[in-house]
Amino acid sequence: MSRSLLAIALVALAAPAFAQRVAADIDCKPTKHDLVYDCRIQIRQARSGEPVTGAEVSVGADMPSMPMAHQVKPVKAKPGTAPGEYAARIELEMYGEWALRLTVRGPVRDVIVKKLEFRER
Amino acid sequence: MDEYALGVLTNIGLFSFLALSAYLLLVAGEMSFGQQAFFGVGAYAAGIGTAMWGLPLPVACVVAMALGAAAAWLVGLPTLRLRGLYFAMATLAAAEMFRILFELFHYQRTIDGEPVGPDGTQGFRGIRWVLERGIEQETYLAIVLTVLAAVLVVFAVLERTRLGATVRMVGEDPELAAVLGVNVDRVKLAVAAAAGALAALGGALYAHHNTYIEPRNFDIMLGVHSLAYALIGGLGTAFGPLLGVALDIGLLESTRVFRGYRMIVFGGLVAALLIWRPRGLLDETVVNRIARALRRGSA
Amino acid sequence: MLVDLIQNTLDGLMLGSAYALLALGFTLIFGVLRRANLAYGPAIMLGAYAATWVSLRFHAGFLVLALVTIAGAMLAGAYVERLCFAPHGARQSRSGDAAAIAAMVGSFALWMQLEELATLWLPKHLYSFPPLYDGPPLALGPFTLRVEYLAMLACAAAAGFGLHRLLYRTRFGLAVRAVVDHVDAARLVGINVPRVFMLVFALASALGGLAGYLIVAAHEQVTPMLGMWSTLKGMIAMMLGGLGSLPGAVVGGLALGLIEAHSQWLAGPQYRDLIAYLVLFALLALRPSGLWALARRRPEPAAA
Repeated sequence: MSRSLLAIALVALAAPAFAQRVAADIDCKPTKHDLVYDCRIQIRQARSGEPVTGAEVSVGADMPSMPMAHQVKPVKAKPGTAPGEYAARIELEMYGEWALRLTVRGPVRDVIVKKLEFRER
Repeated sequence: MDEYALGVLTNIGLFSFLALSAYLLLVAGEMSFGQQAFFGVGAYAAGIGTAMWGLPLPVACVVAMALGAAAAWLVGLPTLRLRGLYFAMATLAAAEMFRILFELFHYQRTIDGEPVGPDGTQGFRGIRWVLERGIEQETYLAIVLTVLAAVLVVFAVLERTRLGATVRMVGEDPELAAVLGVNVDRVKLAVAAAAGALAALGGALYAHHNTYIEPRNFDIMLGVHSLAYALIGGLGTAFGPLLGVALDIGLLESTRVFRGYRMIVFGGLVAALLIWRPRGLLDETVVNRIARALRRGSA
Repeated sequence: MLVDLIQNTLDGLMLGSAYALLALGFTLIFGVLRRANLAYGPAIMLGAYAATWVSLRFHAGFLVLALVTIAGAMLAGAYVERLCFAPHGARQSRSGDAAAIAAMVGSFALWMQLEELATLWLPKHLYSFPPLYDGPPLALGPFTLRVEYLAMLACAAAAGFGLHRLLYRTRFGLAVRAVVDHVDAARLVGINVPRVFMLVFALASALGGLAGYLIVAAHEQVTPMLGMWSTLKGMIAMMLGGLGSLPGAVVGGLALGLIEAHSQWLAGPQYRDLIAYLVLFALLALRPSGLWALARRRPEPAAA
């Protein structure tokens, strides 16, 4: 019994990835408040291009230099109109280049990091 | 626990490795502005290990630690004779060289039809070992904290041994140590390598938590911050640097009241704190007092 | 080919004079107070931000902006000095001393503070700054010389000579040299050591402010990166030339400028920084006393 458990553990550790990759596009538009942006996110399966619906998506942000200093609290995205579309409003701490972190849960699980430049108007 | 709190706790854990790395060198008498380089070496090594060579995470971490130790040894050897600000600037220069090398480093493999690997300034995405095994955030936090706890146990044990005393002596008074027959150079190099391995371990875990790393993550700010955490927390015990990390990332990150003013508050607090406690919060005197109180309590 | 070499050398010297000014300020603080001031660059940046604000509001001329930068840097410098150098006592002979480290960590904390203050005041990532001189660069045969950089070179030279006169021809300079030689003896002779420290700090901040103004006027822009950049370049130049030596600061600054100018020409901006750091590392590993000491062939070892 314990040997088979060990075997399972080893296999689990060494097993190659079963890919559940998704691809995402994100587009953020400024709102009338400074440093607040409305982002539209498109999530689809990486291989087939099929939109991913019904997933739980949250958007967080981090500045690449000094990774933990200006973290933005993740916000849950709401499903948008089209399939695979989600919307979230984020509030940043300052202008510059941010790495947006899309955490996808639900039918697929993935984390995608997209870098975006946020400039003042 | 919500995603954000989990993220903050994991960051505290990860940063602690780096702060402990700086602390270890400080105890041996050297102030390093460059531990972030080994954090980066560990991150890249482990990322390449799991994402490109299919290694399991524990193996990749061991490889990362070995490379971190080797890199630290390489930096430590030419700088053995340096002290104080000279040593600090040399480590800063070395760390920046590593960072620029990360910027110039391109190594990609096509896996599942997509390019994976470090791509210079574009960074290294797709370090998905943790995701692919369905390891949840809570589980990963537990892993990080377990590894950190193991490291702390090692520190606690070594503090009581002759080796720990030797290292502290080399830090406080190397001439005396040499007179007593200690090979100061060898001790310093060994400590440097251990500190490099420790930072690399933190980096490896960081890379897998973030799934994306880039050279800019490992810049001077990271290094100076980790040194500051160790100095603010106090050099009396390995819990000192942890306290420093927790104070900055934990306390102020979570009190959203200070949003936008966090550095002003923290900076002012630290400067004031240092006037009151120049050797950090948990310095040797405080630790001795606590230890004595505990002994009296249990006796 | 030779023209490029000479042009790069000229550019390097002029760029280096900015570094030299920064290094002079750093070296004053390290040489006299025996402390590394990590908040030096951010204090300069605040001065530059003050000048930017004035420029945006009042469209002032270059003299006003220069004075505002210097005043701002001195004010920020005074704050740093009061909060983290004065409380940690007089200079000690070993730089690894606890008070020195505490002061340095304190200056790091204030660095963070001042940077955040600056970005709260003027949150944009980039502000344009009026140039010192609005005309075309001077042409000297096949070489071009930008007027701002010439001004920088002139200011660095003036600062160097001025400091030398201050240190060797005035009573204040005598007091400073006494403190550098032996701080306890200086105190015994009746020198007000904390006052000397404060004035030296103010002088260093003023030099930094001048450097800051010239740099942002030459680049015609101000960014929040100015703080760390100034600190870094100042420290590198100081170490290259020889820690604690004022002529060394100038030599180190010029050397850094030359290394950067030639490396960038030969290999591009990334390699430029890589080579500069490599030179610094090699110098520290082999001849830590710096280029100036090397030039004067002093056989001093690493020291603390």
